Amino acid sequence: MNINLKVWRQKSGENKGLLKTYRLENIDPNISFLEMLDILNIKLVKEKNDPVAFDHDCREGICGSCGFMINGRPHGPQKATTVCQLHMRAFNNEDDIILEPFRAKSFPVIKDLSVNRKAFDKIISSGGYVSTNTGEAPEANSTIIEKENADEAFLSSACIGCGACVAACKNSSAMLFTSAKVSHLSLLPQGKEEGKDRVTKMVATMDSEGFGACTNTGACSAECPKEIGQINIARLNQEYILSSLFSFLKSRK
Amino acid sequence: MQNLITILTSSVGRKILMAITGLSLALFMAFHLFGNLFLFVGEAAFNSYVEKLHKLGFLIRIAEFFLVLFVMSHAYSGILLWIKNRKAKKVISSYSKGNTSGAAKYAAFTGSVVFIFLATHWSTFWYKFNFDLQGMSYYYVVTESSVGFGSPIVSIFYIVAIALLGYHLKHGIASAGQTLGVVGTKYESIYNNISAIFWFWIPLGFISIPIWFGFIVRVI
Ligand code: HEM
Ligand code: SF4
Ligand code: FES
Repeated sequence: MNINLKVWRQKSGENKGLLKTYRLENIDPNISFLEMLDILNIKLVKEKNDPVAFDHDCREGICGSCGFMINGRPHGPQKATTVCQLHMRAFNNEDDIILEPFRAKSFPVIKDLSVNRKAFDKIISSGGYVSTNTGEAPEANSTIIEKENADEAFLSSACIGCGACVAACKNSSAMLFTSAKVSHLSLLPQGKEEGKDRVTKMVATMDSEGFGACTNTGACSAECPKEIGQINIARLNQEYILSSLFSFLKSRK
Repeated sequence: MQNLITILTSSVGRKILMAITGLSLALFMAFHLFGNLFLFVGEAAFNSYVEKLHKLGFLIRIAEFFLVLFVMSHAYSGILLWIKNRKAKKVISSYSKGNTSGAAKYAAFTGSVVFIFLATHWSTFWYKFNFDLQGMSYYYVVTESSVGFGSPIVSIFYIVAIALLGYHLKHGIASAGQTLGVVGTKYESIYNNISAIFWFWIPLGFISIPIWFGFIVRVI
């Protein structure tokens, strides 16, 4: 198949960017999207041009490195699919395909399609952890976890931290990401220790990193490659209300 | 205490404040509509209803104080968050505008129109009712006077503003359910079932009044 790519080229965060057109011919529809970009880059290098920068690592949909906008949608047109798991057969012969980086003030462009998602790491390090005993792994049944909670926590833990939710959101809010982490930990007994102020700390970091506020529009879940649901945001809010009440009662003592 | 203030002024804290004030205002609308519908019963019924309300005196003043406080804090948080969100994002993509519903996208706009409406509503109806009757009956002020539905401009602005308020609440009530954590609990379906009363039927009730007194009555 033949395609016409329009790719966002930007030397660095300080430079201005623009869309550049590249034509690729005789692309096998069964290669992955990133393999197609590899072909483009080999071609660019051979022509002594600068290859297109994009993030990727596992290429099997589990690490969260990849991600950019394809025709205005984070990770492209296919539901519940990361860019690395997308194949060229999702497009038609002679399609125009527009590639842009995730756009958000908190995700500054490093180069071309690659953005800096350090702000997510800061949210995690402010509360997305548990205190555990080191040493031998404990016997699996020594902590009993209800099936329902285990299932829900598992769904929340599927978040790979790719940032598509921020890119899809008109407010660049990181609520879906943060709420998946909060839910995942608060649903499990191992997460209870830090539970009292995990959520307030993570929300404070989310705010100070410049992400917008959630307006419950649901754009994030619709584009999330791991189908993290809106229920996580409701759970974060519940946790937040409980945690504020707790801190209020504590301050009265 | 410092801690609590930090918590309540975070993005999530402000949303909780907006949800509580917004839902309280929506509940207030139900009471307000109940009173307004006396207009359809007749002139005497409406006038005596308003007089009874005024006899409560002090209680009404307290309620009014909270109404103004709630509107102000709701609008204040709404505008602050809107500014924060504008700073966080310029465009989703140069190619697409994303998948956000209109009711959600225009919440700050519809809210602002409602704010302008409330300001004129208070400075006309409320002011006349309390300080400037000039011998008119309450019923007359609403149905015939130039600050009421005697003026087609007032009627049209009223209809448009309340329709936008309904649109604001279409998103607002669903959003408040999410903000207050109702979603995902066993109360979710009850909440969703009654929400249409507040964003559709109650605004429609309000709109029926200018449509009837401002237009239909004048034609038939
Ligand atoms: C006075 C002018 C008003 C302004 C400027 C305003 C603005 C806003 C804004 C910006 C939002 C956030 C929407 C979102 O989350 O996407 C909102 C939410 C809301 N508004 Fe208003 N609004 C106003 C009046 C009202 C009134 C009169 C009511 C009720 C009768 C109301 C009920 C609500 C509710 C229930 C929410 C949802 C809160 C939440 O997101 O959790 N608003 N408003
Ligand atoms: S919630 Fe979904 S879209 Fe957001 S970072 Fe996690 S996996 Fe990516
Ligand atoms: S490269 Fe790891 S998820 Fe796509």
